[in-house]
Order: sequence, then structure tokens, then C-alpha cells
Amino acid sequence: MAVVKDTAVAAPAVRAGRLSRLLDDETRLGRLMLAPAILYIALLVGLPFFLALYFSLTDITVGSRTLHFVGLKKFHEVIHTPTFKLALKNTFIFAFVSQLLVLILAKILALALVKDFRGKWFVRLLILLPWVAPISLGSIGWLWILDSIYSVVNWVLVHWRFVREPLRLLGILDPRMPPMWLGQPELAMASIITVHVWRLLPLATVILLAGLTSIPKDIHDAAAVDGAGFWRHLFEITIPLVAPIMIVAVLFGFIFAFTDMIVIYVLTRGGPYNSTQVLASLAFFTGIDGGDLAEGAAISLFLFPLLVAAAFIFLRIARRAEVT
Amino acid sequence: MAIVEARNVKKYFGEVKAVDGVDLATREGEFLVLLGPSGCGKTTLLRMIAGLEKPTAGEIVIGGQVVNDLPPRARRIAMVFQSYALYPHMTVFRNIAFPLKAQGVPKAMRKDKVLWSASMFGITHLLQRKPRELSGGERQRVALARALVREPDVFLLDEPLSNLDAKLRNAARDELQQFQRRIGTTTIYVTHDQIEAMGLGDRIAVMNAGKVRQLGPPQEVYDEPADTFVAAFLGSPPMNLVEGDAVIVGFRPEQFLPAELHTAAPLVTFTFRLTRVENLGADRLLYGVLEAPFSGQRAIAKLPSTVTLSLQPGEKYPFAVPQQHLKFFDRTSGLRTAPRPL
Amino acid sequence: MRTGKVLSRREFLKTASTVALATGVGASIIVPGRANAQRKKLRILQWNHFVPGFDEWFNNTYVKEWGEKNDTEVIVDNIGLAGLNSRAAAEVSAQKGHDLFMFLWPPPVHEDQVIDHREIYEECERRYGKAIDLAIKSTYNPKTKKFYGFSDSYVPDPINYRKDLWDDVGMFPDTWDDIRVGGRKIKQKHGNPVGIGLASEIDTNMAMRAIMYSFGSSVQDEEGNPVLKSKATLEAIKFVKALYEETMTPEVFTWDASSNNRFMLSGKGSLALNAISITRTGEKQKNPIADKIWLAKAAKGPVRRIGLEHVMDVYVIWKFAENIEGAKQFLVDYIGNFRQAFLASEFYNFPCFPQTVPDLKQLIAYDPKANPPDKYKVLEDVLDWATNVGYPGYANAAIDEVFSTWVISTMFAQAASGRLSPEEAMNQADAEVRRIFAKWKEKGKV
Repeated sequence: MAVVKDTAVAAPAVRAGRLSRLLDDETRLGRLMLAPAILYIALLVGLPFFLALYFSLTDITVGSRTLHFVGLKKFHEVIHTPTFKLALKNTFIFAFVSQLLVLILAKILALALVKDFRGKWFVRLLILLPWVAPISLGSIGWLWILDSIYSVVNWVLVHWRFVREPLRLLGILDPRMPPMWLGQPELAMASIITVHVWRLLPLATVILLAGLTSIPKDIHDAAAVDGAGFWRHLFEITIPLVAPIMIVAVLFGFIFAFTDMIVIYVLTRGGPYNSTQVLASLAFFTGIDGGDLAEGAAISLFLFPLLVAAAFIFLRIARRAEVT
Repeated sequence: MAIVEARNVKKYFGEVKAVDGVDLATREGEFLVLLGPSGCGKTTLLRMIAGLEKPTAGEIVIGGQVVNDLPPRARRIAMVFQSYALYPHMTVFRNIAFPLKAQGVPKAMRKDKVLWSASMFGITHLLQRKPRELSGGERQRVALARALVREPDVFLLDEPLSNLDAKLRNAARDELQQFQRRIGTTTIYVTHDQIEAMGLGDRIAVMNAGKVRQLGPPQEVYDEPADTFVAAFLGSPPMNLVEGDAVIVGFRPEQFLPAELHTAAPLVTFTFRLTRVENLGADRLLYGVLEAPFSGQRAIAKLPSTVTLSLQPGEKYPFAVPQQHLKFFDRTSGLRTAPRPL
Repeated sequence: MRTGKVLSRREFLKTASTVALATGVGASIIVPGRANAQRKKLRILQWNHFVPGFDEWFNNTYVKEWGEKNDTEVIVDNIGLAGLNSRAAAEVSAQKGHDLFMFLWPPPVHEDQVIDHREIYEECERRYGKAIDLAIKSTYNPKTKKFYGFSDSYVPDPINYRKDLWDDVGMFPDTWDDIRVGGRKIKQKHGNPVGIGLASEIDTNMAMRAIMYSFGSSVQDEEGNPVLKSKATLEAIKFVKALYEETMTPEVFTWDASSNNRFMLSGKGSLALNAISITRTGEKQKNPIADKIWLAKAAKGPVRRIGLEHVMDVYVIWKFAENIEGAKQFLVDYIGNFRQAFLASEFYNFPCFPQTVPDLKQLIAYDPKANPPDKYKVLEDVLDWATNVGYPGYANAAIDEVFSTWVISTMFAQAASGRLSPEEAMNQADAEVRRIFAKWKEKGKV
């Protein structure tokens, strides 16, 4: 009896000791804490990626469970098609133009928001809204704005005289035939870029804002005393100092623009006649709707090596530019 | 060279009166120290002179010109910040050259000036380094070189030595003063450290709660404090202040000695009950309590270690202060009043 | 006018949101419900019907009654049409999902994943008489001799035209040439354009094929060989280019699945190819425009009068379905009750087993909701002028990929917009079609 009693008392103490030993052991605790993140990356990022990589080297379709390894055949097949080439070109235009605009606009917004003024919190809230709203809903709003019949923009162009008349006299606008935002190749590309910029701007602004506020005030004061005007201050002090964080923001933006298709899917589905087709949307139409999963995977992975290289270079630059 | 004036300058941040009506004028080529505890408004005043803050009221005058509406770059000033504010992405050379570039100085001339300025502070061997590769002392010199390079009319220094360790600070103080004497540029120097203030300043402006409490040469400010704040702020340990019937009486600890050590007369004698002795090596600090007519009030005496007299805690001793070294302050306003018999 | 606008906006938003949700649905994981030991379960997935009353009848009345009788709990999930493909792909890769999955077009790509539906056809033919050729062509793979789906119904795609405008120019859209000439006159006189999509969407896909077939052109021949590159195709492309230039506006490049409805009900359009959902919606909302919109048979081309179906209902039963027998039974019974479905869909869904609605002709000849009541009478001989995607062959996996990757829509749009010459557009599309056919032939499915 006495023995039993003893162990009963001792057990909780031992357990508590083990737990606290674990909590004290930083190496083991660290591994334990990291486990969920690693599991998440492995299951939700790694697995789909390697699956896609594997698919692209086979002849899988959405309806088949048996598949054969065909090597790079799918890549060879698809890269010579005009649609693929067009989509590749569109992808680059889309990514570069939208990133350039995001960068410039985010910079302007962040510079404005870093200043103190009345109602700043409200403006900050407004700017964040596009990021908070689900992108599908946001895109549908834009679909409406740019619609061929019910476009708000066109309504303004046609019904507001002081807008219509100057444009008409300049020969930019034909009130009987207002612009088809999603129906003319250049306008459609401009439209999806606009929506993409609208969508990414909040994040880029917030990142840059964080970068700007991390610059010590003394540095700005020193530059002011040293005689720097607005542009010199911007280009020689502010931008170089936020450069590392800006590069990371740009990298994210680029990868996002290269791999995302939701805006295009909702607004144009690649049209008119493939003029806004990007690799991501083409991959979806080919792989899921068209059924050739392997070719879809090949299309979507085509730029992967390029993106990895870009990420590597960007991060290197960011590290080199790092300042303390 | 220029004279800097503040004319009834005020700066309010909402309800907070950071600077509350300061009138102050430097002299030509003077080293003026703004001394005060943190939050007294000295840095705000300096930043208004630099043009980094706009005064709520009053005028800033540099070289006879009201500069309230001029941006910092038009005021012909240079400033050194507490953090040095070196541009972390630029080499030392580009840091020093930056003000010149902003002024549009031609490139060839820029190089000469940078070299001249760097040699003034002995940092020519560091020109290709980045700020993060420098020690604290080196950074401070770079900051000074960057301020000097454009040969401003006025130097504004905001606690430039406070980030250095004690040993380095003494040497830097010495260098700074020599340098200022050599170039003779009007300098306004902000610090909360009275040793720096005493050692560097041609004059000291003691500030508290947004106002200048006293302006004068270091010795004058030390010996003849204008009010109880200045009396208590300067000196280590500060002046003893004991309350009498109508006045506050002040005397420096180093004047408050055992009666037998005094040679000059006339003396005022106190009975001092010693409670604690602190031996600081060079000095001995004696803590204790006075007897009637100031019974119960605390005082401190400071004896040089050359005095080997044996003094025991718990004992009472007769201590004295030469009459001329007793200062009298009004009980309500705290301002100096005429000496009177105790 | 006002009600019409409000309505069509709603219609528009509804479609648009289904598009958006599609992507979300595609990624969702199907969680199997807890097994109920007592009652069997039957899970059905189909689209949100364009006639809302249909879902109400199907989900709340019909399946409930059927469930009672067969001691089965029937669960119906409705999703937007744009989400069907991704949802199907998700169910296949999870090897788990619904017992009955309804596509709106033939899904030959999933052939290996589904049971052979031959038995269901046989049982239905035994009970209700022969199925229409359109149904067989849309669900049968002659190469593997397998029925990869079961079609209960199809949706006719007649011409919707503004009678007032066409009368005004003294014309009737009987042939494609009439549409070109009359459409031009109306556009010039009244400013109302023709609206036939030239975009990456299903209505364009159907309309362009209708034009091709009526010009004697097609993507494949009867044996399933790619034959896009032809003189007839070139003629069809040139015609569409002229039709676009003379009667339409760039708006048609922005077309989506709801554009026909909005275009006609807003009063803007003079003609569109669509199911009867336009006039049905207008009737429900008492939109005066609806009375002016009349229907006509598919237009006659130089070779024949032919059109497509607007959509093709195809149910599949996955091999991995949990209640295969129940699903089969459901389909057989459903065909037996198809007259109810025909009425609930307000004549939208036409039967693949015509004898299940013996009085179809009488029903559509007099519809009290319609103005005039015989508005839908033109649909009575729809089978004479409607055909399947893949005509004159079967809807196979290659045809499906050509369809889903918008090869034909893009070909016409590129030529119409002048970006490519008709020859270039045809050659480019032909190369793509051949590539796709080669891929699927290699897999032995075509």
C-alpha cells in the first residue's frame, strides 16, 4: 500500500518536471514551436508544388488516375503554340507594368500617410479597404464598373456634359460608342492592370509605410539641415533607406502578378481573343476546363525557374542594401 | 559668424508648453550651453533655431535676419544630433560630402573640402567606410566633420557626447572646445550634463520648464545661482538649501566644513549631527542633520581627502560656512534675495 | 424599362458572383457526412438553374417526394456553372463527392472516372421510348463504346429578336444573310446592334459553332478527324467578320454568360442567340421589352439550317460514388417524371426522351404567360435544327478541350477584330485543334 501511495504522489511531480524541462530546453522547444509552420508549408505549399511538378512531366488528365512519365514532352508541345507565346508576353506586360505602377503609387501614398494630418486614420482605413475586401467581390465590383452596358465610368463619360464635351472635342470620346473597357485588347489589359494595382496597392503601401517609419527622424532632420530639397531627400535618403524592404515588396508583387489569375478570370477570362491571357489563366483553362492537367501544370510551371532566379537576385540585393 | 537671438519664443505642443517665452542672444563666436534636465525645452529651442520646428510665437533671428519662415537649409547652420544621424547607406566620404552636394558645390572642390574637414578631426583614414563599421567616437567625429564641411555661421550641437563612454567623453570635450576656439564659430550646445556645461561653455543658460532661469558664465551661474532651481541643479552634490523663518538659506557642501578648518572670518556656525560618511576617494561626503535653528533639516558637507580629521557618525560637531558664501532665497518665489542676519 | 434594368442587374450580379465563387469552390475539400445507418443517402450536385423556380421545384418538391418513396435522404448542392469543371476535378482527385454530378456540356474527359451509363439508357428506352440522337452524340464514345454520361434534357438555343425593330426594316431573321442585312439596317436606322458574343465564354462557343455548321464547316468529321481548315470555315470566318463590322459593336468582345440577357432586356440589342431565359425573365418582371422579343428557329446558312443547344444537361455517376444504384434509380425515375421538370423549367429544359412529354407541342403552342401565347411554338421542331457540340461526330475529349480552351471563339474574334486575317486565324486555330486531337488520340480516347 505504501508503495502504491508513493508513486501516486510522485507521478505528477515527475510529469511537471518533464514539462518544465521541455520548456527550458530551447532547442527542443524551438523544434516543437516550428513544427506547425513546417507542417503547414509542407502540406499546403510543398505538396501541391511537387505534385504540379510531377504532373507536368506526365500525361495526366483531370479524368485519369493512371499516368505515364513523359519527361519534358508537355513543355515542348506547348511552348511553340501561338497562344502560349502570347500568354507569356502578356504575363510580362501585366507583371511589369502593374508592379511599376504599384511601386510609384505606393511610394506616393506612403509618403503622404507618414505625415500627420487630420483624419489620417480614416484615409488609412480607406486605403486598406481593397486589401481587406475579398478579391472576388472586389473584382465583381470592377466587372460592374467596366461593364459594357452598365459601366459607371461610361455613364459618367456620356451623361456628364462637362466631362463629355471636352473629351468629345478632343476626339477621344464618341458618346454613341463609349469605350469597351474589357472588349478592346489595350483597354482590357489596362483594365486588368488597374484592378490588379488597386488590389495590391494597400499591401505595398503598408509595407513601405513600415519602412518609412523605421527611418529615424534624426536622419530626416539631418538631411533637412544639410540642405537637401524634396527630390534629393527622396532619392538620396528616403528611397535608399527603404530599398531593402521595397525590394521585398516588389518581389512579392512580381511573384503575385506572375502566378495569380483571379482578376483576369473574373474580368476577362483572357479575352478579348487571348489579349489578356496570362500563363496562370491559360494553365487553368487548359488544365481544369480543358482537362489536360499535365499541360496545365507545364504552363504554370514554365516560369518557375525564372521566378526562383528573380527571387534569389532580389533577396541578394536586399541583403546587400541592408542598413543598420 | 553670426549672432543667434530668440525673441520671446514659445512652443506649445497642445497643452504642453515645451518652450514658454525664451529671450536669449548669443555673442559673436560664443560657445553657449543650454543646460537643463530632460524635458526642460532645451532641445526644442535648439530645433526651432535649426528650423526643424516652427515656433508657436516669437522670433528666431540669425545674423540680424528673422528666419522663422526660412527652411533649415537657408539658415546657414549646421547641426550635430545626439544619435549623429549619419546616413547609414553612404560611406563616410559621401556623408561628409552630402551637404556640399546639396549646396551644388562642384565635385572637385567637394573632395578638397571633405578632406580638409576630415583631417580636422583625424578621420581621413575612415573615408571609405560605412557608418556601421565605425566606433562611437569615430561616428561622432564624422558627424562633426559633416557639420564643419560647409563652414556654417552657427553650429548647433544636441548632446553630441552623451553616447560616448566616460573616458572618451573627457577627451572629446577637450577636442571639441579646442576646435571651437580655433574656428571661432558661434556654437549652441545642448546638454543635461553640468560637467560638460561648466567645462565647455563661455556662458551657460540654465533652463527649466520651458524658461531660461539664468544666463551667465559658468562660475557665475555656479557661485551666484539666480534661484533655488539653479542652486539645486548645479554642483555635485548640489547646494544645501535649508529653510529659515522667512528665507531659504543655501550653501555649497564644499564651503560647509568643521569650524576649526576655516581660517577666514566671519563665519556662521551650525551644529551638525553626523549620520553617515561616504568616502569617494578624492572627497569625503558627510551626511547629517542640523540642530536649532534649522533643527531636523538635512545637509551635506564635502571634505577633500587631504583633510584627515576623524569624524564619527552619531556624534555632533560644530560646522561653519563663511558668511559671504551663504545665499538667500525668497521662500515663495525661490528667487535670490538680499543677505540678512540669521 | 426600369424594372427590366433592375432585374437584369440582379441577373448579372448573380452570374458574376457564381463566376467568382467558382474558384473558391474548386479548391474546397469534400467532407463526407456521417453515415446514417438507417437511411440511404443520395448526393446530387448541379448548377443554379437560370429559371429560379426550377431549383425550388427540384430541391424542395421533387427530390423530397422521391426520397420518401425510396427511403433515401437526397441532398442537392447547387453551384454556379463556371464552377462545375473545377468542382469535378476536385471530386475526382479526392475520389469522393456526389453520387450524381451534372455538367452543362458533355464531359468526355472524365470517361475513366465514371460508370458506363448504357444500362440507364437501356432501361429508360425500355420504359419511355427512344432517346434523341443529340443525347447519344453528347454522351457516347464510339471509340471505347462507352456511355460516359446520361443526358436527361437539353436547352434549345433559338434566335431572340426584337420584332418591332425587324418589322420596321421589313425583314425577318431567317437566314444568316438576313441577320447581316437586317442587322445592319437596324443599326443604321435605330442604333440597336446585334449581340452575338465573340469572347471566351459558352454562348460564343455555341453561336460560332452554329454559324460554322450552317456554312458546312466543322471542327471534326464524323469519324473524329480534325477538319477545321477548310474553305467553308474560311467563308464562315469572313462572314462573322462582316457581321461584326456591319451589325455589332466591340461590346461583343466582353461577352459573358449573362450578357445576352442584359443586352436584350436593356432594350439595346436587336438580336441574340439564347435560351428562352431572356423572355421568361422579362415576363416575370413585366418588362415591356419582353413582349417585343420574339423567337425564331436557328438561322439558315449557305449549307443548312442548324443550331446548337444552349446547354446540354449531362449527369455522370462517378465510379467512386457511394450510392451508384440509387443514382441510377433516381435518373430512371426522373425521366419518368420529366413532364413535371419540363413545366417547372418553364419550357427551358427539353426532354431527351420526347415521349415523356407527349403533349409538348400543345403546351408550347399556348402559354398563358407569354405574349403572344404562341411565342414558344417555334421550338416545336427544334430537333430538326439543333445538334451537338462536335457535329457531325460525337462530343469527345478533344472536342471538349477545343471547346474549353476557347480555340474557336478566339479564332473568330481575332479575325473579326482585324488582329489576324481570316486565313491566319484559321491556320492558327487549325494547328491548335490538330495538336489537341493528336494528344487525345494518343491516349486512345478519340
